[in-house]
Amino acid sequence: MFLALKEIRHEKLRYGLIIGMIVLVSYLVFVLSGLAYGLAQQNTQAISSWNASKVVLNSDANDSLSQSLITKQTADKVKLTTHEAYIGQAGVVAKAKGQAKLSAQFLGINQSQFIYKRVKVTSGHKPVTSHQIMVDDSFKDNGYRLGDKVTLNSTDTQYKIVGFTHNAKLSVAPVIYGTLGTWRTLSHVTTAFQASGIITNRDNFKTKTSDLSTLTMSKFINKLPGYSAQNTTFTFMIGFLMIIAMVVIAVFLYILTMQKLPNYAVLRAQGIPAKVLVTTTVSQALILVVGGLAIGAALTLATVLALPAGVPMSFNVPLLAGVTGGILLTGVIGALIPVKVILNVDPVSVMGG
Amino acid sequence: MSVLEVKHVTKTFGHNTNEVTVLTDVNFTAAAGEVSLVIGPSGSGKSTFLTIAGGIQTPTAGDVVVQGNGLSQLSGKARDALRLNRIGFILQAYNLVPYLTVKDQFALVDRVKPKGNLSAADLRHLLEKLGISQLTNQYPAELSGGQTQRVAIARALYQNPDIILADEPTAALDSERVKVVGQLLHDLAKEHNKAIVVVTHDLRLKEFADKTYAIMDGKMTVA
Repeated sequence: MFLALKEIRHEKLRYGLIIGMIVLVSYLVFVLSGLAYGLAQQNTQAISSWNASKVVLNSDANDSLSQSLITKQTADKVKLTTHEAYIGQAGVVAKAKGQAKLSAQFLGINQSQFIYKRVKVTSGHKPVTSHQIMVDDSFKDNGYRLGDKVTLNSTDTQYKIVGFTHNAKLSVAPVIYGTLGTWRTLSHVTTAFQASGIITNRDNFKTKTSDLSTLTMSKFINKLPGYSAQNTTFTFMIGFLMIIAMVVIAVFLYILTMQKLPNYAVLRAQGIPAKVLVTTTVSQALILVVGGLAIGAALTLATVLALPAGVPMSFNVPLLAGVTGGILLTGVIGALIPVKVILNVDPVSVMGG
Repeated sequence: MSVLEVKHVTKTFGHNTNEVTVLTDVNFTAAAGEVSLVIGPSGSGKSTFLTIAGGIQTPTAGDVVVQGNGLSQLSGKARDALRLNRIGFILQAYNLVPYLTVKDQFALVDRVKPKGNLSAADLRHLLEKLGISQLTNQYPAELSGGQTQRVAIARALYQNPDIILADEPTAALDSERVKVVGQLLHDLAKEHNKAIVVVTHDLRLKEFADKTYAIMDGKMTVA
């Protein structure tokens, strides 16, 4: 550590450039990971807030809630308990006088069932009549307020915002909670249709009718339009970035080590154990990577604070720990590559003839 | 008392038609309290002799015995420990780490070998004697060739080794400094009972030596 710190302090420009490179790499990985996680969250926030286990859809709906319609006749074949809830989904465009139009996902729910009970209100109250709606907080960012009258799609019916809820997004669109009656109106279906699907929080829930198919929540989420493709793309980008970071850091450390071999040869001639030189190299790599990560994290934080609220960037501890650990690991691997060269350094190379 | 013995050492490099014999059946003994000078021209095998005597290289035949330990019997780790604790090297390439100040060159020794080094007072005295006490905060790049060489000498002596192996320690010094370094090595041998082996082509050091050897075409003789 002594040699590592002394060298960094003396060679400020050289090590400053290396730290700068690690800062840029870690900043890019942090931002991309935050965006990937934020986007994934915005696909599933509403679903996550229900804390449900399974989804029951029409078996012809190709596992898509928006394509599913369950008739009352079919629904009657399913025995619901307090652990199940009907849900009706419809894509809508919300508009209010003097406000910008907003594309949203309308979710019709039954106020006697568990989803209604689990949805948390940040201000106002939950809808109790068919002309009341509760909307995601992001409506506030677009100027919508409690008591605003909103029209949905091309209908003339006005719906009053009676409540706001936090982190309610589905397929990256803000959610509007209302009644199943309103859902029927917006979907242009009659009372012959009960809902788009049934949500249950029982792991062992089963239906006996072949008209319905039951999906686990993770399978349902992976079937959300664009969700898997988007996540796979980000995962590959971050993965490749990590590999490139590892190669770049390894190359830098290798070149640095090669430049130091004459010094190491002199130290080996004096009996300084190879272990000390290896420890110096690895600890120096760790100092550089940790320093770069810390600055990269600070830059990311500054970026998060500066970004508009609409940008879907979000972090959690396992994600940050994973990314940080990944970059640290790449640094250590990069530092370990030249270890063999250090172990084989020949003190005779610095002796005269 | 003999602390370093080189017994029938031969060193060859290469194979078959490319084989070159650098040292042939070399015998040498260094005793505590003596300065031994090995004089020879460039390419005579002086440095190879020194690296073998210090356990950096292994001989093709023969053995080196340091304070009763046959180096051929020791592991690489044990030879490292022997060099660190018992042998001080003063190299032609100077032995300074470029990103450490003069003061930190000694601090590095303290970190690797916390015990048995010179005391702060002795170090100060040594630096004053070598005329480099005012350079402690300088980096090697800020020193002249002669200053660098004197710091390298001080650094090797700081480890307080029993045996000092010096490879052309006066190569970059003027006559006045040669006398200072020669006298210092001589005093170390006499006052501190060190065994000092100097390989050089600088005949100015001859007056400080107790024994002088000549090396020519890999063969060593008493001069």
